[in-house]
Amino acid sequence: MSDDLLAGNAAARAAILGRVRRALGVVGEDAARHANAERYVAEHRAGPRPAMPADLGERFAQRAREMASTVERLASRDQIPHAVARYVDNLVVPASLAEQKTRTGVCWPEFADLDWAGAGLAIEPRPTQGHDRLGITGCFCALAETGTLVFTSGADTPTGTMLLPDTHIAVVRADRVVSGMEEGFALVRAERGHDWPRAINHVSGPSRTGDIEQTIVLGAHGPYRVHILLLG
Amino acid sequence: MRVGLLVTCLVDLMRPRVGFAALELLERAGATVVVPPAQTCCGQPAYNSGDRADAASLARKLVDEFDDCDYVVAPSGSCSGMLRTHYADVLRDDPAYAERAKALAARTYELTQFLVDVLKMRADAVPGTFAGTIAYHDCCAGLREMGVKAQPRALLAGVDGLAVKEMAEPETCCGFGGTFSIKFGEISSRLADNKCQHIVTAGVDAVVMGDVGCMLNVEGRLRRRGDTVRVLHVAEVLAGDGKAR
Amino acid sequence: MQVASIHFKERAHEKLNDAQLQKNLVKFKGKFVEARRRALTELDDADATRDYARDLRQRGLDALDVWLEMFERNATARGATVLWAETPADINRLVLEIASRHGAHKVIKSKSMVSEESALDHALEGAGHTVVETDLGEYILQINDYEPPSHIIGPALHKSKEEVSELFARKHGTPRKDDIEALCLEARHVLREHYLTADIGISGGNFFVAETGSVVLVTNEGNATLATTLPKVHIAISGIEKVVPTLEDIATLMRLLPRSATGQSISNYVDVLTGVKGDGEFHGAEHMYFIVVDSGRTSVLASDVKEALRCIRCGACMNHCPVYQNVGGHSYGWVYPGPIGSILTPMYVGLENAPDLPQASTLCNQCGIVCPVRIPLPDLQRKLREKEFEGGMRPWHERAGLKLWSWFAQRPALYGWASRIGVRHLHRLGGARGMIRKLPLGFGAGWTDERDMPAPAGRTFRELYKEAAARNGALR
Repeated sequence: MSDDLLAGNAAARAAILGRVRRALGVVGEDAARHANAERYVAEHRAGPRPAMPADLGERFAQRAREMASTVERLASRDQIPHAVARYVDNLVVPASLAEQKTRTGVCWPEFADLDWAGAGLAIEPRPTQGHDRLGITGCFCALAETGTLVFTSGADTPTGTMLLPDTHIAVVRADRVVSGMEEGFALVRAERGHDWPRAINHVSGPSRTGDIEQTIVLGAHGPYRVHILLLG
Repeated sequence: MRVGLLVTCLVDLMRPRVGFAALELLERAGATVVVPPAQTCCGQPAYNSGDRADAASLARKLVDEFDDCDYVVAPSGSCSGMLRTHYADVLRDDPAYAERAKALAARTYELTQFLVDVLKMRADAVPGTFAGTIAYHDCCAGLREMGVKAQPRALLAGVDGLAVKEMAEPETCCGFGGTFSIKFGEISSRLADNKCQHIVTAGVDAVVMGDVGCMLNVEGRLRRRGDTVRVLHVAEVLAGDGKAR
Repeated sequence: MQVASIHFKERAHEKLNDAQLQKNLVKFKGKFVEARRRALTELDDADATRDYARDLRQRGLDALDVWLEMFERNATARGATVLWAETPADINRLVLEIASRHGAHKVIKSKSMVSEESALDHALEGAGHTVVETDLGEYILQINDYEPPSHIIGPALHKSKEEVSELFARKHGTPRKDDIEALCLEARHVLREHYLTADIGISGGNFFVAETGSVVLVTNEGNATLATTLPKVHIAISGIEKVVPTLEDIATLMRLLPRSATGQSISNYVDVLTGVKGDGEFHGAEHMYFIVVDSGRTSVLASDVKEALRCIRCGACMNHCPVYQNVGGHSYGWVYPGPIGSILTPMYVGLENAPDLPQASTLCNQCGIVCPVRIPLPDLQRKLREKEFEGGMRPWHERAGLKLWSWFAQRPALYGWASRIGVRHLHRLGGARGMIRKLPLGFGAGWTDERDMPAPAGRTFRELYKEAAARNGALR
């Protein structure tokens, strides 16, 4: 579709790369430089990083709270609907945001089988168009170092569910909590290497802004609140 | 041990007593001090203004003058920093001087740094007395090029009668910046004014620092504001001619 | 964006005397500094991490052509189109071509400093498109008739909440809000509808990843995530120097970027976006374009200030700069203010158009000390000063003064004679207070407008030492 754009762009490409090579003093094709680059990439060398405690789940929960998420530990998957109902019922919102306290929402298909109705909730397993107020997702993995949720996009993991609703509830399996970003990327390579995701979204707490007088306000564009159900 | 005293042009022209104080402190701490008589300027104004040629000429002159010294010591973080961190660059294209410049840089010290780190002067050996409270301002080059922070405070603790009080933002630039103070007088004055505000708020009798350039800037602004806080060089306080009122 | 850097001094004068701005700057000052200091202590070895980050950025630059080609190859393999822009005008032309190809009308943008360089919003509006900035700070500036940003991560930090409140009431036609939360909520409602109806999302790019052909976007608001998830077309625009070899390198940089910027351990949203959406995927761009921009970068790469290209745009240098803290970002007159701007602006728009910027620094090196990738900013400022001096771009009296000083300083006898006369004269001018209220020479006036000049003691160290030594008979 963009062939003519590309064709018209070939000269700019050649000019820029030519200037880069001149600036670097590179003459001719240099196979060794490309080989060095490939070797460096294959190494996946990690830089210095802070030590992590043995209990990654606890560290994750602690850092997630520091990033203004809330965390509840659950023993098993079938407790999720009641945990969600409890969370929503206990939510305290100002009168101006009263509509955010709702028992209606959407979830990722992996949770379609749960007994939502039994907990008094109306949760539909579909992507959101942007007007749902409660979104329930799983996650690809989570990072202990920073209390971060990692999402990889795909047919069964629609990005909007964690992004558009006012309230985002994420289910994290404790065995999917890894140390840091390096381990997260390694897991993506291992499990999605053949089908690399369009988006790897790292989310650490609710959307926030400090753009007016450096005063932090939650719910800038995305969720006002992120609640994490840590399973197992 | 033969210590060459780099007097610095600002001490020579503006505050000669700082040079004598430095001399006394070094001798008291056991150094044999020489003062190369033809020394003038280390070349920093030229270097910082982009005039490499003149900076190099002055650097060569200084390297020649201090070549036979075991150490070069200056009552200035800025001038010692010029030698320590920039002479290698200034003379990088001069094969006759490049290596000598590096060697000189390695044996160059700021005064209090030399007293504490090399001569191991202890606080109880400091001769000065001062009845009053002072705040110490960390001049930029001394702090960030030379690593001078604890040394002056350690020695000031040994001055009889003197109490040190930390002001707010002691590490923030006073706005001097050499020729910057003239080229951008208005901005420079504002930075100096901020510094003065912190000094006055600290409620001290004197502000003490290690560079005459910064002293002139701070004192000039304090006086224009009508403030009477004294501005002293750390050497004169340590040597005892800081004369408390 | 129009270059107004030639007016640095006049603008700084204006800003120093703008009472409201000075109040806002005082509020701004310090918060980021303290937060950064604390956040870096969370890294077991922040210094080693910064050394590593410096090296990995340099590794990227040292083989920039190789990494760019690898990036292009991998991005293309995943369905994206990589376009190259030599000039700011090229950026705008390419974006307009893409927009017309997709019949797009509404464009939403997350923050892109490169698009500020090319004034992309004006080009889009000129061609009849609706453009909406979504970063709250950028949005505030946009609806204030495109006021220029004053800070690279907090573009509207020079404004008070009262000013924003007045602006929103005027532009949105809503009642005045008196608290910041209400203002943010109002902006959220306005912007949410734009996200849902936009045809194109334009983002900058904090980094490009060679290994995967991805762009990395970092925000707290999540606006870049929304702007690149909802519209059918995503265009990511950034400089060629932003390419980083691997995802592991991104992990290291993400330990430093938010900590250096706002003092956060991590930014709330870090997106690694690669190619177009997959089969059955509900959200995500169907068409993805990268515009990789030269626009002066290759000339920096060929220069002796090339370390500036390591910059990861955290803003720590400006947050810590005493000059920036007092004159504010607008004084610098172009996209990048503060210490990094004093290098990039003259390099991108011409030294002759920004001659004051490399000079407007005390060389205090607070910036160099805090830079997460260890760019030696004062050294680079000095190198640009050398170019100005060699190119005869400094005023004659400055050159004359320096030359005269150096001439005397190289002639010790003459220097001794002249300095003896000089200090006596100035000592007399100082009078009983020992303070000179007005310096006699034209080029000293900058000092005494708002400061006294403490007078010299009256005799030089050299003459006093000579006398003392003669007395002691110990002159070397």
